Parts: sequence; structure tokens; C-alpha cells
Amino acid sequence: MIKFILRRLLLTIPTFLALTLVTFVAIRLVPGDPVEVRAGEHGISPERLAMLRHEMGLDQPVIVQYFQYLWQLAHGNFGTSLRTSGPVATEFFSLFPATLELAFCAMMFAILLGIPAGVLAAVRRGNVLDHGVMGISVIGYSMPIFWWGLLLIMFFSEWLNLTPISGRIDPIKFYFDTPTGFMLFDAWWSGQEGAVWDAAQHLILPTIVLGTVPLAVIARITRSSMLEVLSEDYVRTARAKGMSPLRVVGLHALRNALIPVVTSIGLAIGSLLAGAVLTETIFSWPGIGTWLIESINERDYPSLQGGIMLISSFVIVINLLVDVLYGAINPRLRHGR
Amino acid sequence: MKSFIQTGAVALFAAALLASTAAGAKTLVYCSEGSPENFTPALNTTGTSFDAARPVFDQLTEFKPGTTETEPGLAQSWDVSPDGLTFTFHLRKGVKFHGGVNGFKPTRDFNADDVLFSFNRQWKDDNPYHKISGGKFDYFSDMDMPASLDSVTKTDDYTVVMKLKSPNAPILANLAMDFMSIQSAEYADFLLKAGKPEQFDQIPVGTGPFSFVAYQKDAVIRFKAFPEYWRGKAKIDDLVYAITPDPTVRLAKIEKNECQIMIAPRPADLAELGKNADINLLHAPGLNIAYWAFNTTKPPLDKLEVRQALIQAVDKPTIIKEVYQGAGQAAKNLIPPIMWGYNDDVTDYAYDPAKAKELLAKSGITLPLEIDLWWMPVQRPYNPNAKRIAELMQSDLAKVGVNATLKSYEWGEYRKRMQAGESMTGQLGWTGDNGDPDNFFFLFGCNAEKKPASQNLAKYCDDAFNADLVKARGLSDQAERAKIYKEMQVIMHNDALMMTIAHSVVYEPIRKSVEGYKISPLGSHYFYNVDLK
Repeated sequence: MIKFILRRLLLTIPTFLALTLVTFVAIRLVPGDPVEVRAGEHGISPERLAMLRHEMGLDQPVIVQYFQYLWQLAHGNFGTSLRTSGPVATEFFSLFPATLELAFCAMMFAILLGIPAGVLAAVRRGNVLDHGVMGISVIGYSMPIFWWGLLLIMFFSEWLNLTPISGRIDPIKFYFDTPTGFMLFDAWWSGQEGAVWDAAQHLILPTIVLGTVPLAVIARITRSSMLEVLSEDYVRTARAKGMSPLRVVGLHALRNALIPVVTSIGLAIGSLLAGAVLTETIFSWPGIGTWLIESINERDYPSLQGGIMLISSFVIVINLLVDVLYGAINPRLRHGR
Repeated sequence: MKSFIQTGAVALFAAALLASTAAGAKTLVYCSEGSPENFTPALNTTGTSFDAARPVFDQLTEFKPGTTETEPGLAQSWDVSPDGLTFTFHLRKGVKFHGGVNGFKPTRDFNADDVLFSFNRQWKDDNPYHKISGGKFDYFSDMDMPASLDSVTKTDDYTVVMKLKSPNAPILANLAMDFMSIQSAEYADFLLKAGKPEQFDQIPVGTGPFSFVAYQKDAVIRFKAFPEYWRGKAKIDDLVYAITPDPTVRLAKIEKNECQIMIAPRPADLAELGKNADINLLHAPGLNIAYWAFNTTKPPLDKLEVRQALIQAVDKPTIIKEVYQGAGQAAKNLIPPIMWGYNDDVTDYAYDPAKAKELLAKSGITLPLEIDLWWMPVQRPYNPNAKRIAELMQSDLAKVGVNATLKSYEWGEYRKRMQAGESMTGQLGWTGDNGDPDNFFFLFGCNAEKKPASQNLAKYCDDAFNADLVKARGLSDQAERAKIYKEMQVIMHNDALMMTIAHSVVYEPIRKSVEGYKISPLGSHYFYNVDLK
């Protein structure tokens, strides 16, 4: 097992190197540099442009800038934001918990609804339930996030008055420190009455919006994988032995059917974070989404590079964990067979 | 005993909670658009950042709410020497800085040291704060402060003398701008000694109507009314900026009274907002101009008849109707009508294709005439859709025998190439900084024509126009200056160096419960006078 983890860890090194190169180059391929973007209609004199570019280190050859960046990274330094002059890592970690909280809730929503829906569809294959679940999942998968979010706000917040429109907590009723950045926890920690419930209400719509696509994916994969497993000999044997259908499906089939589902969850983390960018914009959710968009608009190279590196590290770590978990469910892999 | 202490603690806590949400505490929530870069306006360039710091700070001179006129702020009065070169400011006494923010307790009132610090931080390399937080003082440089200032000194704690290199009346309006906000020199020292000077720009201390409480990036900024504010405590107790980037969501929030004032509604939502019985839809002309400039150095645009023909060939009313859709008014001058010095006697060129053809024939050029027509790739406050405007122009021009090739580049590249004089004709615009007409007319002065990065896209340098520009800058009497600016508008009209397209109209929805709020022509948001019913 340890050998397996070590091997996977070593494999991440080239991934990281490739990533630094891709982010570094891609951002610079976008026309316009940070100084000029800032200048606006006022324009900027060539002398001032040269001076500011020099201060930002943008006058160096790109290859030199790249190696300087790698050198910084190797020392755990993610650079300083050109926009706010704050350290990139500090800014990132002050915002990331909000994204993480939302992504976690969305994932839980997708898993807790998606797996049972997929199992049900597989067990009742070909019947109305199956067609219903699969139909809804196609719609869910192709739902444009922006439109879906606004639709839910209009329906639940404006018409039914059930959920708050945006943000993480009611800023008038509640005011407390957020030491961890995880609002549910901070609200509980603050001891203010009703704060946890308020924070939870604020989470409902963004969770649904962000969780919809993974929910559809998980439901579909669970269904197809379940169908495959249900036709296996050992399931037939279990049934022939007179085992209750619930035990057959729940115990024997599901555990094996879950293997591809777990993989897909690991892969979904990446798209979940991408979806978070849009979801956060709609719901004024103070995570890394808005921050990244602003960094792109302002050509804030260090923030973008650092942000993408940190997110990617997170995705890589999650996938590593998934692989380990996978090994636990599927002993064939663990033993290298 | 233990339970007694516990009960006591709970009671105390409940009392504190009650006090903080005491009945009658008035909280105004403003749905803003984005997060500030930091809380020192001198370091920033965006309206969002200026708005975020504005409740905290005052300036030496200030804009009267809802106007572009300046009035005394932290400077109670000032004298100007007859040659217009020396300004002596008499500072207000007894003005307090916010106490208790970030552990800082002011030991003295506002005085001349704070003024000197606020100038020198931006101006002098040797100021210990000059390089803190990136040290890019764009506005100080854009408003030509280093080139204008000769010295700023104090004669005593409440008198500051500012000497200029050349007469510059608009500088009083510059001093009212956000970048000239007065910060506390004592707070700066306090943080320097504590070894954390970078906090100076993150946790602001000023003399303004509200003191800073907390900021959570992309979520919320909190302020509370400063009881010792020199104009008297604000009528509201707490001010909250709810950062809400999406305009549709801002609209939903104001409709549900989750905020009481919102910035920048979508034009498509204006009709719905107008019908809402709980909301007042305020509107005001924007302090800006969108124009289509002709490069007068490129033949045949050096010919006056050709330029006049191009203007008259284009159907401006249709552009206003189709592209601006109610959020713009046709412009006949460079400056908007809300600005002092506006010349309403200028008659705009009418849409007249027959006259355009006639002028083209008179100019002696061969038709069809080939020109380029540049359009900006981005939306600007003064121009919602430059591409659509260019297309409308293109079809109008074709009717008089002018073939316009549409062209565009990435926004930074676009400005750079146009400012270098690469285009024949192209769209751009300007948003006023300080409400002074000079801040518009300088764009087309001879000085700007020489500068490689200036907005003088017409590459225009007219002796009479330029002499007026310099003369008006040297006068301190506003009526006299206004007279000169009126003349300059006539010169610009006659020389036809551009087609002035439109001034935008700015909309701001507020709940009917909000009283005393005035929409600012400068695009800033100011909540001191606001009350809640």
C-alpha cells in the first residue's frame, strides 16, 4: 500500500511541472498586460509603463520570469498579487474554505441522491422510474449553470420566499468572526442563535445548482455499472440461494458497482471547482471563483498562476485519496494485479 | 457558584447582543458590485475601490453631494495668490480620527502633518510608505500632480501652503478626488513601529463619517457611524456593503429589501424597476462622452469638408435609440450638459446624407472613399456596444459613397495603436474625473497631441483652442473660465474633429424607505446624508 502511494506521489511531480508551464504560458498568451489593463482611458506614458513593468518584473525575458517563478514555488512562495499587493497564498486560503464548503455540500447532495437514483433506475430497468431518472439526469447534465441558478433564485427566493437570495449569511442579523472560513462551523462556534440555520439556508440553492451536474453523472454511472453487475453470475447465484433482493442489491451488487462511481467522483472534483466559479458569481459566494475571474480581467499573473497551482494541488490530492480508497474497495488494484 | 457565573456570563452576552442589534439601530445595506483592491484610494483606479474607502475618508476640498462643484472639506478656507501659483489652506480644527480601529488610539486631532503625509506618500520616494502595497499612485500621476506641484509645506499645524509650477485652477477639484483622501500620519507611524505597515491600506483610519469595522473579501464590508464626525453623526448607525457581482441578483435583493440601494442595474431591467411601487428609480446624466474621432493628420481627413460630411452622413438619433435604449442622450459638445461651462447654444450637425454628398463632392476627393472605423472591444460606461454603433455607421456611410472597414483589437492594444495615431477614424470616450471642464478639454490640447499615449486621437492642435485652454487653467474665477470653455466648444464644433455620440444616463434604484440619497454625477456613492424611514 505504501509503495502504491509513493508511486502515485512521484507521478505528481511531472504533472506539477507541466502545470506550471501550461499556466504560465497560457496566461501570457492572452493579449494585454497588467499595466496597460490598469491604465484605462487615461493612457500611460511610455516612461511610466516601462517603470511599472520593471517594478513588476515584466520587463525580463519570459524564460527568466518562468525560472524565477519556479524558484519561488520551490520555496513555497506563490508570489504577490499585482492587484492588491497581498500574498497570493494568503488571499487564496482566506477564500478557499467558502468554495470547499460549497463543493463539499454539492458533492454530498450529488452522492446521496445520485447513487440511490441510479440503483433504483437499474433495478427497475426499462420501467417508468428508469426512464424518469435517466430523462431528468440528461436535463440536469445539460443545464446551463447560470440560467439554472437564476431560475432557482426567482422561484425559491422571490416567489416562494423560502431561501435567501445570495451570500453566506444575513449581514444584518449576524456578525461574528470567521476564524475557519467554514460558515456552518463558524456560525455554530459564534454561539449566536439561529446563525447555523441561517448559514444552512444560504447553502441550499448554491448546493443544488453546483450539485446538479455531478448528480446527473453519478446517477447515470451508478445505473450502468449496477446493470452490469446485476447480470454477473455471482448475483444470480446469490438470488438463486434465496437471498432477499435488498441484500443482493445492497450488499453484493452495490459494493462492486461503486468502483467506477468512486472514480467518477474523483474526476468530478475538477469540474466541480470549475462550476463553482459560475455558481459563486451568481450567489455572491465569496470563494475563489470571483477572485479568479477578477485576476483574469486584471491580468494578475501571480494570482492566476498561484491560484491554479493551489487548486490543481487540491485536485491531485483528492484524486490520490480516491485512488487509495479505490484500492480499499478493489483489492485487485492494491495488489498490482 | 459556577452556575451563578454561567448565568451572569449568559446575561452579559445577551445584553451585548441586544445592544448590538438594539431596536432602532438603522442599518443601510448597499448592494455593491465588487471587492476593493484595498482601502487606500490613492493606490486604486476603480470606482468600486473608491466607493469602498469613501465612507472612511475626507479630502481638503469636497464635492457637494449630487453635484460636480467643490466645497470646503478638511480645509475650511483657502487663499490663492494673484499669480495663481500659491494656495494657502486653512485647516479645520477639532477634527477627530477614528479611534479603536486595529488597536490604534489617536492622541491628537487632524492637522497639517496628515496633509503633508497624504501628499508625500504619493509624491516623494523617501516617504517610508511610498513603496508599501505596490506603490502605484496612478491617479496622482494621471492628474499630472508631480508635474504641477512645486512644494507643499506647513507654516503651522493648521496652515498648509501649496506652490505650483504653473497656474492650475482645476487643482482644487483634484484635491476633492478620492486619491487625495487625507490619511492619518499618526496611524502610519503606529503601524510602522509595530512592523506591519501593509495593514495601513487594509484597515483604514480616517476622519470620515463612518469608521471601518470589518471586511470579508467578496462578501461584505462593514462600517459604523462615527459619533465624533466633524459634520455631526450620520443618521444611519451601520453601513453594510453587500458585494453582489451579478446585476440580476442585485435586482432580486433590492426587490426583497435585502439591500436598499443598488449599483448598475441592467438596462433590460429598467422597465421592471420603474413599475415597482417600493422602489425609486433615480437617474442622472453621466459625466462622460462617447465619440467617433477623426485623425486630422491622415488625408483626406485633413479636409474640414470631409470630416463634416462624415458627421452628417451618420444617423445619430437611430444610434441613441437602438444602442443606448434610454440609457443615453445625444451629445453635441465634448462635455455633458450637467457640467458648468456647457454651451447650449451650439447647434449639432444634423443627419443629412444629401448635404454629406455635397460636401464630399466639394472637397474634391474621388468616391468611393475608403476609411477604417475602429470600435472598442469592451463595454464602457459611455458606450454599451461600440461594435453595433460601428455597424450602423458603416451602413449609413455606404449610402454616401464611403466604404468603412471595421477594425478592432484587444482593449489595451486598441488604445495603444489608436493613441499612436494608427487609425483613420475610431470610437473612444472619456469619463470625467473631477467635474472640471479642463478635465475634458485637456484631451485635445496641443500638449496632449505631442504625448504618445494621450487621448488626442484627432491629433489636433489648434492655436486658438490651446491658448484658451491654458488661459482658463490660470484663472480662478469660475464665471470667466466658463466663458472661455463655451468658446472652446464652438471651436471644436467648427473644426469637426469628432462626432460626439452620446453621454450616458446613469440609473440607480433605491428603496422608497431611503431618504436624502443623491445620485452623484461623478459615479461615486456617498451615504452620509442618508436616512431610513
